[in-house]
Amino acid sequence: MNSSSLRRIGQTLLIPILAVFSALVVGAIIMWIFGDNPIAAYRGLFEGAVGSARAWSTTIRKMTPLILTGLSVAVAFKAGLFNIGASGQFIMGTVCSVAVGINFEGLPAFIHLPLALLAGIAGGMAWGFIPGALKVFTGAHEVIVTIMLNYVASLFASWTVYAGGTQGQTPGPLWDTTAGPISETADVFISARLPWIFAEPYRVHWGVVIALVVALIMWWVIFKTTLGFETRTVGANNKAARYAGMNVNWVIILTMMIAGGLAGLAGGIETLGLNHKFAPEFTGGVGFDGITVALLGQTNPIGVVLSAFLLGALDAGGARMQFDSGVSADIIQVIQALVLAFVAAPTIIRQIYRIRKPSDQVESTVFSSGWGR
Amino acid sequence: MGKRRYRVTSYIIGGLILVFIVMAILVNTTSLGDSTWMRVFFGISALNFTLRASVPLILGAMCGILCERTGIINIGIEGMMLAGAFAAFVAKTNTNDWPLLASLLFGVAAALVTGGLMGLLHGVFSIRYRMDQIISGTVLIILAAGLTAYLFDRNAVAEGKFGTIAIPGLSQIPVLGEVIFTNPPLTYTTLILVVVIHIGFFYTRWGLRSRACGEHPRAADTVGINVNRFRYMNTIIGGMLAGLAGGFLVLEAVGQFQEGMTAGRGFISLAAMIFGNWMPFGAMGASLLFGYTQALQNELLLAGVTTVPRQFVSMIPYIVTIVAVSGFVGRVRPPAAEGKVYETEGGSE
Amino acid sequence: MQNKRFAVVFSMLLVLAMVLSACTAVPAAPAQPAADAGAAGEAAAPASDIKIGLVTDVGRVNDRSFNQSAWEGVVQAATALGLTEGEGYKYIETQDSKDYADNIQQFIDAGFNVIVTVGFAMGEATAKAAAENPDIYFIGVDQFQGEPIANVTGLVFNEDQSGFLAGALAAQLSKSGTIAAVLGTDLVPPVVAFKEGYELGAKYINPDINLISTYHPGEISQAFVDPEWGAATAKQALDQKADVIFGAGGQTGNGALQEVASAPGAGTDVFCIGVDTDQWETLPAAHPCLVSSAMKLITPATIELINTYAADGTMTAGNYFGGAGLAPFHDFDEKIPQEVKDKLDEIAAGLADGSLTTGYQP
Repeated sequence: MNSSSLRRIGQTLLIPILAVFSALVVGAIIMWIFGDNPIAAYRGLFEGAVGSARAWSTTIRKMTPLILTGLSVAVAFKAGLFNIGASGQFIMGTVCSVAVGINFEGLPAFIHLPLALLAGIAGGMAWGFIPGALKVFTGAHEVIVTIMLNYVASLFASWTVYAGGTQGQTPGPLWDTTAGPISETADVFISARLPWIFAEPYRVHWGVVIALVVALIMWWVIFKTTLGFETRTVGANNKAARYAGMNVNWVIILTMMIAGGLAGLAGGIETLGLNHKFAPEFTGGVGFDGITVALLGQTNPIGVVLSAFLLGALDAGGARMQFDSGVSADIIQVIQALVLAFVAAPTIIRQIYRIRKPSDQVESTVFSSGWGR
Repeated sequence: MGKRRYRVTSYIIGGLILVFIVMAILVNTTSLGDSTWMRVFFGISALNFTLRASVPLILGAMCGILCERTGIINIGIEGMMLAGAFAAFVAKTNTNDWPLLASLLFGVAAALVTGGLMGLLHGVFSIRYRMDQIISGTVLIILAAGLTAYLFDRNAVAEGKFGTIAIPGLSQIPVLGEVIFTNPPLTYTTLILVVVIHIGFFYTRWGLRSRACGEHPRAADTVGINVNRFRYMNTIIGGMLAGLAGGFLVLEAVGQFQEGMTAGRGFISLAAMIFGNWMPFGAMGASLLFGYTQALQNELLLAGVTTVPRQFVSMIPYIVTIVAVSGFVGRVRPPAAEGKVYETEGGSE
Repeated sequence: MQNKRFAVVFSMLLVLAMVLSACTAVPAAPAQPAADAGAAGEAAAPASDIKIGLVTDVGRVNDRSFNQSAWEGVVQAATALGLTEGEGYKYIETQDSKDYADNIQQFIDAGFNVIVTVGFAMGEATAKAAAENPDIYFIGVDQFQGEPIANVTGLVFNEDQSGFLAGALAAQLSKSGTIAAVLGTDLVPPVVAFKEGYELGAKYINPDINLISTYHPGEISQAFVDPEWGAATAKQALDQKADVIFGAGGQTGNGALQEVASAPGAGTDVFCIGVDTDQWETLPAAHPCLVSSAMKLITPATIELINTYAADGTMTAGNYFGGAGLAPFHDFDEKIPQEVKDKLDEIAAGLADGSLTTGYQP
């Protein structure tokens, strides 16, 4: 690696780092204005995120699904598609993984676990296929369809574990019959659980390794394969891709399926690694956070991993921050929004810190291409 | 071809609306109303619920139309609504000792101003700083959710909300009078605004110029229209409308604020805007349809007439939305220059 | 020039923040420990060596609902014991249901020895933490204990009984013969118990009564925080001639109560009944219509349990049934006919001595 490519990396990282720093400063000012102590808050945030082994383990645990949902959104962006549906795909992945995990008792782990994970991927893919196909065949915009499918997914999921018995209703198919009035599934069998890397009290499971490997694979797929090239071409210029003889419709459907599969895998990992069951209070919130992760990571898989780490750390530190300093963890969301704003509008950062724009660098990538097509 | 299909569609829709009104009147005045199913579909309670659920959607969709017709994609409507709702709440709680009407109007003003500021922020991000408009919208949503939750004083109480005003004479018409002419003021305002925006867009110079900025900014620039100024202006006005939607939730519908109380209405407004083909009346119709599906879902659950698990009944509004945008009325056409940063000739920074 | 642009954006953000919070900048949390955010209280020497922590269910500590009721119990008990907030007692707000275990662990790590966990959903995390920390006393609000654990008290309530009383009251007040309930979600068992009890109580008075009730249609994270849906549904019920409406479900239910309160005829023709606490105290906006509330008294029960432990270290294993019943009628006391009151007293007595059962089977 020569010095010019090192400088290139430095330049790429400079803006995000300054963006995070600036967001923290603005966040501090807001806290100060409203009578909170920003120094105490940030000390708690830091300690809760990376201050101890347990903090690190929480950060890793939080970051794992974010990597995958971030990748899900990022991959779709590469094809010019905006996947707001990662949370629905996440939930469908969860449900499908659990469905396999609580059945098939006695299967050996090396079959049961992959099967359950694959079920998660399949569930997410199916949920990604719908908006992809509708876009291609009817022109329905994926933003609307995926948002609506998020609601449908969460209703569907809560039905599967519905303990309707007390009201004379049919309970859902995945409901744990021993749970009484509580709507939840049974625990998945040990053979379908992701093993711990660090067991209690750290609770770090192998899901993080899977997520990192998947991120590498996605990087390879996007930048080194024909499919990745086609996806990027479709995203950059739909018409050109068509003229070049690419099957644009197929690329769109496939990309949405891959995006869905990634989010579904996130759901599967989260359930099989951590929760070991599904209950209606497990929401697909990480799916929505995936948008921030993807945008912050500039839709690059490596960037996604880094930004998932940042968001995971902020999330992990939020609880400790509130515990130590009494500052409501809601301020974390404000900081996230500011980070996103500063990264997406590097001009602001350049103006504050008087950084000259590198001549060879392309200004921010265009992600969206309107409602059209 | 496209125009003709559009006309046919509008005839069909017009016919359906007429049938619907006739049915509604019959069900609520004759013995037809003895049937539970008829009441579920056409009862006064369903119609009232429809209008009430539609008002924020209509305002949100108008916000979307104003922004997008000038070329700015706005997925941040949800955030603008939430900020407007919060501002209305704070304004209301701080003026509880004022006369009720003054205090409520102050709340409305706060919602409008805050919504407008959110619109300005969207404009600054996406026009001056050339941020991707979808990202900018996302930023608005997260920022509004975070700030309102952080600043929300959960012990504050807003006292009072807008009451209904029966329009003399008109409110005596059977069924229609009760549903349309006996409403609180912001509902009337919303319905009037739709007409105003329609006229503004299609019969005034402002409307023509706005649309030009969204369809062909280069040409608009050539004839001397300041494209970015129009974009700023319409985004701010749009933001005010979204803020008003938030104000409606706090000052007219509920009387309190709750974190995340917009609950996806901004997104459904977007669907209504698209389904309505970026036309004010179309978007209003779509909003009413979505409101009606919500009413229907609630009616079915309240009447307890189905044995289908309630989760599936609850999916109705979302599935109808998907079916609607999936080309029920053929492909819609968004403004051509949407989402693209406009740079004047030769100017860069 | 460049700085100026930044200044514009920055000041806009600030203005936005200012406008959002308008005139007064009241901090959101109920009480802020002003200083000392260091390692939690090694130097502290309170009157006793008890340290009480409370983990909320997903939601806020001042949610005017069950989190708040439990927290008030902690505050009152701790104040009586001479503890100071931050050192001797504090809370943590759960942001996501996945964080239950982590949040409980925060208190364990900080050396707290009484931990109150709120909400049935935290039952599993509580049981697990209790098994690992036998010296720490856990109080689980709404957490029914199937198999008793020595250091966990499940603070539970007979919601069906107070719902039954509310239903009996509603059926007696109703002139139209239609009463309604606007509810949180059936994914949460206590809400189901309230609803079923309400309907059984109404039918006990008037078997032919027309009951219309509905749960929130959305997911669990929305079900208790959607006042707009609650209000719209209450209006819908009013349109269908319901004249007593039971609002049970956090903010959603409160929305319903407020809608009834602002309806024409509130307090004379249409009435509403609140839930959980005496909502006359917590929701003044509902005064025009609020005849009573179906209560589950979390606050006194929490105080009771903490005091028992503080006195001699007794941990009540298994379930502890807190008080449940109707709230006072307040301003409606004179308007409610004596025979209605007598009937309610009779039912309450019957439920208490077991001669009457609600008929609700969870």
